[in-house]
Amino acid sequence: MAPEHAAPPTAPPPPAGPLLTMSGITKSFPGVRALDGVDLEVLPGEVHCLLGQNGAGKSTLIKVLAGAHQPDGGRITWGGETVALKSPIAAMRLGIATIYQELDLVEGLSVAENVFLGHEPTTAGFVVRGRTARTSAAALLARLGHPEVDPGRLVGSLSAAQQQIVSMARALSHDVRLIVMDEPSAALDPDEVDNLFRIVAALTADGVAVVYISHRLEEIRRIGDRVTVLKDGRAVAVGLPARDTPTRDIVSLMTGRNVEHAFPQRPQPVGQTSAAPVLSVQGLARQGEFEAIDLDVRPGEIVGLAGLVGSGRSEILETIYGARRPTSGHVVVDGNRLRTGSVRAAVRAGIGLAPEERKAQALLMLESVTRNVSVSTLSRFSRGGWIDRGTERSAAQQATRKLSLRPDRPEARIRTLSGGNQQKAVLARWLLRGCRVLLLDEPTRGVDVGARAELYAVIRRLADEGLAVLLVSSEVPEVLGLADRVLVLREGRLVHTAPAHELDEHRVLDLVMEGSPAA
Amino acid sequence: MPHNSANSQGATRRGILFGGAAVSATALLTACTSNEPSGKEAPATNNQPVADDKPGKKVTIGFAGPQADHGWLNAINENARERAKKYPDVTLDITEGSNDTAAQIGQIQTLINKKVDVLVILPTDGKALTQVGLAAMKAGIPVVNLDRVFASPQAFRCWIGGDNYGMGLNAGRYIGEKLKDKPNAKVIELAGLDSLELTKLRTQGFDDALKNYPNIKKVARQAADFTVESGQAKMAQLLQAQPQFDALWNHDDDQGVGALRAIAQAGRKDFLMVGGAGAKSAMDAIKADNGVLKATVLYPPTMSASAIDLARALGQGKGIGGMSELEIPASVTLYSAVVTKENVDDYLPQSFT
Amino acid sequence: MTHSDVSDASEVKPQDGITSPPHKSGRRPLGLRLDLRNLSLLGVLAVLIAVGGITKPDQFLDTGNLQLVLTQASVIGVVTVGMTFVIISGGIDLSVGAIVALASVWATTVATQEYGFAGILFTAVIVGTACGLVNGVLIAYGRLVPFIATLAMLASARGLALQITGGTTQIVTVDSVLDLGIPDAYVLGIPPLVLVFALVTVVGWLILNRTTFGRRTVAVGGNAEAARLAGIDVRRQRLYLYLLSGLCCGIAAFMLIVLSGSGQNTNGNLYELDAIAAAIIGGTLLTGGRGTIVGSVLGVLVFTTITNIFALNNLQSDVQQIAKGAIIVAAVLVQRRTVRDEHA
Repeated sequence: MAPEHAAPPTAPPPPAGPLLTMSGITKSFPGVRALDGVDLEVLPGEVHCLLGQNGAGKSTLIKVLAGAHQPDGGRITWGGETVALKSPIAAMRLGIATIYQELDLVEGLSVAENVFLGHEPTTAGFVVRGRTARTSAAALLARLGHPEVDPGRLVGSLSAAQQQIVSMARALSHDVRLIVMDEPSAALDPDEVDNLFRIVAALTADGVAVVYISHRLEEIRRIGDRVTVLKDGRAVAVGLPARDTPTRDIVSLMTGRNVEHAFPQRPQPVGQTSAAPVLSVQGLARQGEFEAIDLDVRPGEIVGLAGLVGSGRSEILETIYGARRPTSGHVVVDGNRLRTGSVRAAVRAGIGLAPEERKAQALLMLESVTRNVSVSTLSRFSRGGWIDRGTERSAAQQATRKLSLRPDRPEARIRTLSGGNQQKAVLARWLLRGCRVLLLDEPTRGVDVGARAELYAVIRRLADEGLAVLLVSSEVPEVLGLADRVLVLREGRLVHTAPAHELDEHRVLDLVMEGSPAA
Repeated sequence: MPHNSANSQGATRRGILFGGAAVSATALLTACTSNEPSGKEAPATNNQPVADDKPGKKVTIGFAGPQADHGWLNAINENARERAKKYPDVTLDITEGSNDTAAQIGQIQTLINKKVDVLVILPTDGKALTQVGLAAMKAGIPVVNLDRVFASPQAFRCWIGGDNYGMGLNAGRYIGEKLKDKPNAKVIELAGLDSLELTKLRTQGFDDALKNYPNIKKVARQAADFTVESGQAKMAQLLQAQPQFDALWNHDDDQGVGALRAIAQAGRKDFLMVGGAGAKSAMDAIKADNGVLKATVLYPPTMSASAIDLARALGQGKGIGGMSELEIPASVTLYSAVVTKENVDDYLPQSFT
Repeated sequence: MTHSDVSDASEVKPQDGITSPPHKSGRRPLGLRLDLRNLSLLGVLAVLIAVGGITKPDQFLDTGNLQLVLTQASVIGVVTVGMTFVIISGGIDLSVGAIVALASVWATTVATQEYGFAGILFTAVIVGTACGLVNGVLIAYGRLVPFIATLAMLASARGLALQITGGTTQIVTVDSVLDLGIPDAYVLGIPPLVLVFALVTVVGWLILNRTTFGRRTVAVGGNAEAARLAGIDVRRQRLYLYLLSGLCCGIAAFMLIVLSGSGQNTNGNLYELDAIAAAIIGGTLLTGGRGTIVGSVLGVLVFTTITNIFALNNLQSDVQQIAKGAIIVAAVLVQRRTVRDEHA
């Protein structure tokens, strides 16, 4: 299905050969390896689903495919020939179009202007033929099942679903052979999803391939042909049949490990010390996010919170930390009730947080390791506001050495460190402050697989020294392997509590997904 | 117009008639009428009544000017107000000053709608406000255009304003006469805001005057922007650049405050300075005669008082005393007198702060 | 980094290009490591000095001219130090020029002048600081965007300054104030205004580099969310920063009174743009999180030196403005190149 003004693909690839192959694609950003040798193979006319958790590398992969990122290594072939996708324009010329989740439309321009943005039909090379553009845009919109969208309207005045149609019309305005759709159904009503699937079916009938990204397993079952699962920047399963691979297998591929980690030994007796809890959360609730959360964490204990994305895991940690204000309930540390909604109260009481988005929420990326570590403890190294930098540096270095942060160079810029060492810097910050409760939100997110075992050992050592640790992770094996006690969270409620050794991955997955549509 | 005669005349009459601000044009208005028993009665030369300070027909004058963010503009507003108060038959409708062209157009439009008898307009930008001047004239309201001239002569009945070229010319003549016997004399110029037409005219007049004195050479020019701060900064640089010169022509007395400050800071006394506009601080310094400032060339803010006189005459359908014509003139260019120690006492009452 | 040895990623050393020796724990002498950025700006300044020395050897390379350039730099320099703090914190202060104007006219009213030197100094500093306080409260607690809050302050402070003066120039008659500006008051050949500028620079440098306040400023600008989650009171920090900028404006206003011998509502015209430009070419990131006082001061000196050279060569203001624009672009381009080399 090609638009009228664009020629149909001249030579359809032979049915047997794949349209696109990507092999061994790697891509690193400072501190993190986003793609670690990904393989992907897409056949003409198929709907190829790409699955993976947040941070698994999906968005980096589609940006490589769209020419927006250049891979560090690996090989891409298109119709059997090796190609380099040097820029978004190069990818478009080959016939690859991408519809991003955050729609990349210009709200102040009309529908037709958006559809033909960058390749406007022109006279003499620069006079835009507005009428031609509007007519062609109207034809594309009609084909996409939305003839009611006026090509002259401003995109900003359209609904989310209509905007997505415009985005799709833009993709089809090129001579397209592969369309990448990043969570296209996320903003749509069920009716609109049906229309989307109809469009996808029509596209594939014309031999256009679709790479479809979604979290909703039932959609993949309805329209998908094959599935590739990404995890930690690698493809852990390639070309699974989309319709009959069991849900549990897919989920455990997404959340489970492809490399077994050595988790540190738990001390005996496990998590059942008689000591009074340091952290005690009572009836904590936030409207629309979670409710009636009660939990205790004792010194030396690691408590894990397991749950799916959207179950309220991170929100609970941030509320305990005072970064969000609860609608009811309170947090008690050492028997003292904290002022709610105050980070400073929480920090003063001895709580530390290693947040989920390390770069956005914890690190000063332009600064040195020392300054990142000491930022919460500055007043200790200062007299009348005057910082004793010698003491500061040696104290920070003491903390980073204890966590074996490498390189052991206090002046190194934090952004030059690997993800694991950046995380250690965050932990060192709280270690230096002498905090009693450590809240860890996805502590191994963006940490290279091999470096995780070391980080686990560090966390366990901190607990052994008497810290109370509350851990959130979307990776069930991580929670099971590291925590002493596991709380299972579903849709904002605690549904189960048990010592970690009494649970296994399947049991937890059943608990977190019970009753959810994907199960 | 003879050299300075109108001014001296104005100065003598002032005491009798107003005891307040007066300039040459005012003198013209009043010179031959002060002893007439009634303004309604015809002077000898024609049947047209001439304006005087006796109460006559009630006149409402609308006055619109720019924002008074400069001493000179502030004096313009004050002089207009003061003058209007002198006449029991004049009601002054004065707008909030504005530097925004659109806002000023709106204000004038409002005055037109109020059906004032005469308009006095000092436009923020003469070209941009021409249309509203035309509109007023079309509505039958005569416009007295003050200082910044409209683009079309149809937009006003009478223009009255200062002479920027003449300022430069007279400053140049004064300096020329002082230095004419000195071989290889050097002068420098501290100009005003270079983006304004009036700055170019003042410089041009100055340069033209100096052409009559081949022994004098202008060696440097820097533009300040009418502020004390810029006057100090630019003058300090000029002083550093020119270790020796004989005279300085400074376009504006306000920026002159800064320039004098820079001269004091540099400890320089070896030249004479001529200012512009006629600020009180400058005249005080001229009178004290203890510094480099020896003269200032007038750009009289009293022109707004004269504009009120003209507007009143227009509103009452009278002519102008001392002239044979039945009507007031279409344009009045004021003389840029040179204020020196000798005549400073005459001008001090007209100075502005 | 290739994709070969994934399993021992924990052993992978971070790919940093900084070549300082490892385990260097000794103190650097007074932390005087000049940023590469500042080095490039010093280069620009050196070129300018060469140009000035070649075109006008007699007038340019002269003690009097050095005094002149530094004096002319001192007022805007003090404002720029305050501005640098605000920009490093990720904010902007568009009201500095207007605050200088308001403080300078308030401090030179007839009533204030009756209190003499102390009255003028005190009023200028208090008015400046109070304006900064209003900015800070609006931004930190009123949650206004700094651009909007300080734009509003710009408008109202200018308006208030005009209302106070009525458009007139307020001449200072207090001799002790005026005397500070003349050569008799120079200390070892250094004008008092330059001394104040130097003092503000040194104190600013110390605050930024040696105190918790400076550290928190950088943290707030580098990552406000991270700073908040690290337990820093971000709002109070912001309040103090605008207060500091206002204080600098108050000091600058007093300096301007000394320099020009008057107070006028047109004072401080476009200081906001000059101060921002100086900070930017001095290497301060407009997005916050990085910047140096030394760089900003060099930026001010570059601009003042350009003006000086142009005036000495009798070039007119149109050429001066064009050159200023070109210098801004050139300095930022040179800087970007140096920064890129640093990371290569």
